[in-house]
This record gives sequence, structure tokens and C-alpha cells, in this order.
Amino acid sequence: MENMANKVARIPNLVDWSTGEVRLMSAKCASCGTYFFPREHYQHRPGCSREGVENVLLPGKGKLASYTVQYYPCPAPFRTDKKITPYGIGLVEFEAEKIQITGIITETDLKSLKVGMEMETTVLDLYVNEEKQEVVTWAFKAVL
Amino acid sequence: MRDVYIIGTGIHPWMGFSEQVFADFAAVAVDGALKDANIEWQKIQAIMAGIFIYGGNAGHLSGQYLESIFGETGVPVVNVYNACATGSASIRMAYNSVAAGETDTALAFGADVSPKGFLTAKSDNAVQDRDVIRWKMGGMPNPIYWALECRKRMEKYDTTEEDLARVKVLMSEYGSKNPDARFKKAYTMEEVLNSVYVCDPLRLYEICPVSTGAAAVIVTADKELIAKADNPVKINATTMGSAIYGDPTIRISALSCPAVAEAPMLSESYSASRQAYEKAGVGPEDIDVLELPDNSSWHYLVYLETCGFCGEGEADKMLRDGETRIDGKLAVNPSGGFSSHGEALSAQALWQVIECASQLRGRCGERQVENPKVAMAQTYGLMGNSGTTILSV
Repeated sequence: MENMANKVARIPNLVDWSTGEVRLMSAKCASCGTYFFPREHYQHRPGCSREGVENVLLPGKGKLASYTVQYYPCPAPFRTDKKITPYGIGLVEFEAEKIQITGIITETDLKSLKVGMEMETTVLDLYVNEEKQEVVTWAFKAVL
Repeated sequence: MRDVYIIGTGIHPWMGFSEQVFADFAAVAVDGALKDANIEWQKIQAIMAGIFIYGGNAGHLSGQYLESIFGETGVPVVNVYNACATGSASIRMAYNSVAAGETDTALAFGADVSPKGFLTAKSDNAVQDRDVIRWKMGGMPNPIYWALECRKRMEKYDTTEEDLARVKVLMSEYGSKNPDARFKKAYTMEEVLNSVYVCDPLRLYEICPVSTGAAAVIVTADKELIAKADNPVKINATTMGSAIYGDPTIRISALSCPAVAEAPMLSESYSASRQAYEKAGVGPEDIDVLELPDNSSWHYLVYLETCGFCGEGEADKMLRDGETRIDGKLAVNPSGGFSSHGEALSAQALWQVIECASQLRGRCGERQVENPKVAMAQTYGLMGNSGTTILSV
């Protein structure tokens, strides 16, 4: 993993790299078994007691369930000082957790994207803040 | 419950961003509906108003603003928001008030001024409003969601880029014949297939933009008003649905969705349409005219399946075989659809209902479906909102 010491997520509690691996921050309901992302995006099964929701980290790897290519710069409040357009957006499936999560794809060879390919959670540098930290978002890259 | 009829409808034609005061063009729609119903404003006993969220007090209390224009009469005014299904909520409330006998005559109305540029996050609270996360970190304007679903569809079924373009060609043919549509140019397959990708596989002409417009519908159970109306149209059902747990669709503003389907796709619309079929006592096979929410070409195809007009993955064939043409088995979007109008959020569901009513009243000129008896308007809204209205003559 690249040096993550000077990086900060633009919004907290979404992506974690404290374990040495970049992983998405999810929550699991012990009662209905549903995983949420973001953690506060509750999606309980009807009739669930909603007891025992615990914060969990998702595995670092999943499979590409769908993707698209965004051909124009995303308008504000999205912010980046890098030239990323056109960029891929993926829907990555974490099979055991039965959840699919969207994210920017860091791959620049967009023609190589294929549904079913293995993807790894990573971060994408967006811009440098006033504290000289690299502000990042979560992202996915193809496992080659 | 009493029988309820539509006796008057009015539209301000759809347009781009407008500097007009919303109440002025909303008044055009309401004036049109009153004139069509041949009644005075004082006959309106309740106002169910769709709000527009970018309008501050004027937008959030649009019913009160409207009432002040036409003259305040002390009747109940309710302002409602259900995203793109807001108009469905307003007509459902108007219908319920009249059907239950609370009032005899009610107005459902919606007017919307879209902001210039993109519809973006409306708060700055990332914990309460995940829309903030999708805009600040996700990099995902609305069409991305439709493109992700469209790609899934193309992997699963034999939907082609030509099918997506074919939808636009057909919608633009009808839009060119609709004086209330915003876009009136008829496109060729070549022009659509040569338009730029916005988010592949969806191209520029295969996605609807945001628009400005207003629509008003007057409903009544008053026998005298029904008798003097020009071709009143019966409301057989007007319902709303919300999403069902386990719906695998990635919903706009969400950052995740279930990987294993335990409910139908677009379950909010599945729910609204099935409620309507049950209440109206009709099925998809009885519908002559369908107005569906073709926010993108993908929507056109999937909505035929969601609402039960064909099996999963069969909509492309219906389209290719001409079954969805005005002269086909099921006339789909004779108005030209969202593709020719664009979204004016709180008004669009009412415009769809009005197109259905106008078709049943034989008022649609060059785009008129031959002798329809039953028509259905289907909406789709952000975060699990949907409504279905079934009308008949």
C-alpha cells in the first residue's frame, strides 16, 4: 500500500486504512443480517428488531457487477484538482455480505473494464487541503 | 367511496430554465383547467399542491401562493413532496378527498422551476443526507445510476445500443407532434447513435434533461359538474408505492444496493402499479395507452416489464416489433414522454395524467391513439417513490 500517512478522507467514517489495507466501513445488523453502506444508511428487513447493529469493515476485494464511464467533469460539490475525466464508476459486489457499492474506478484503460472482473478497494486523491493533506475518496481498481 | 371524474385539465407548456415567477405560469395551467371544466374558482373545495424544492417559501408553500392569486377561500391547502412522483401524491390526495366525501371538487396541481445546471445536494449534512456523500465523494450525477442499471440489463438480456436509440427516435417523433412538449425535433437513428456518450451506454439524446412546467387537474364527484363537463374521464385508481426490502435497483442518491434480489426491480413502481390494477379491477392487457417515465431509454424498456406489460427482458422485442407504437398493441408515451419534455418534478406526474385523459377524450390531434378506453400514467421518483393512475371512459 502506498504511503497513507498524509491522507484524509473528505467525509469521515466511509473508508478505513488503519489495518494496512483499504476497506470500506460498513455496519451489519445482527438481527436481520443486512449490511449497510454508509453505516447510517439503514436498510433493515421489515419486522427486524434492529438490535445488535455493529460496525464492520468489508473485505478489500470484490467483483465488478456493473460499470459506466462518466464523460464530463462531475459538478460541485464534487471537487478535484486532478484531471480524472473521463472516469469509470463501478458497482462492486461483496458476495458474502450481499451488498453492492458504487465508487470511482482508478483504472485509466477504460476499455479493459468487464463485468465480473476482480476489484480491490483503494483511495483516489482528490485535492490538497489547507493543512497540506491529500484529501481522498474511496475508489476501486482492477486486480491485475 | 364515490366515483370520481376528471372534468378539467390545464398545462403550461414545458420549457427550459425560466425567469418567470412560478405562480404566473402555474396560473396558466390552473386557468386552463378551470376553463376546461367550465367552473368558477370558488367551486374548488381543496387544493393539493406539489411543491418545488428550489423555490424557498414560494416553492414549499406553492398551494398558498396559488390560492392568493386566484383569491383566498379558506379551503384546505396541502403542500406535498414525493420527488418526481409529487404530482402522483397530489392527485391521489385530491381523489381521496373527493371519493371519501370530504369535498366534492378538488384541485391537484404542480409547478416546478428547475435550477440552471445540475440538481445537486440540498444539504451539507453527510450523516443525515447521503446525497452529500455521493456528490462530494461519489462523483455520480443522476444519469450514472441509470447507466449502471442499463449495463446490467445489457449483460443479462440482448438489449443493444440500437434499442436505446430506437426509444429516442420514437419519442422524438411523437414529441414533434405535441405542442406542449419542450423538444420538437424528430431524430433519426443515425443522429442518436452519433450523439456523445454522457455515461456509457447512455448517450446525450437518450437521457432527459430538467425542465420547467406546470399542470393542473380538477376532479369532482358533483353530478352537475360532471354532466356539464366535456367528456369527463373516470379515475379507476390512483395509487402510490414505496420500495420493498431486497429491491436490487441502485436508487439515485444511494451508494449501495442489495446484491441478491428479494423483490422486483423498481419495487416502488411494481407496488404502485399492482395496487392500481387491483383497485381498478383491470390488468396490463386492458390498457390501451400508457405514459411511463422514460427518464432514459433504459427506463422505457424496464418500465414495460416492471408494470407487467411483458416478461423480464422482453421489452426490447416489443419495441422492435412496433407493439409500443401509437398504432400498436399498447400505445406507449404518445406525448413524446420525458424524452421530449424533460423533468419538471412536481408537475410531471400530472402532465402524464393529462396526456392520458386527453387521449381518452380524443383531443390529441396528430398523436391521437385510435379510440382508447383505458389509459395508465406511471411515475418514478427518487429514493423509492412512485404512483400509478388508471383512467377510463
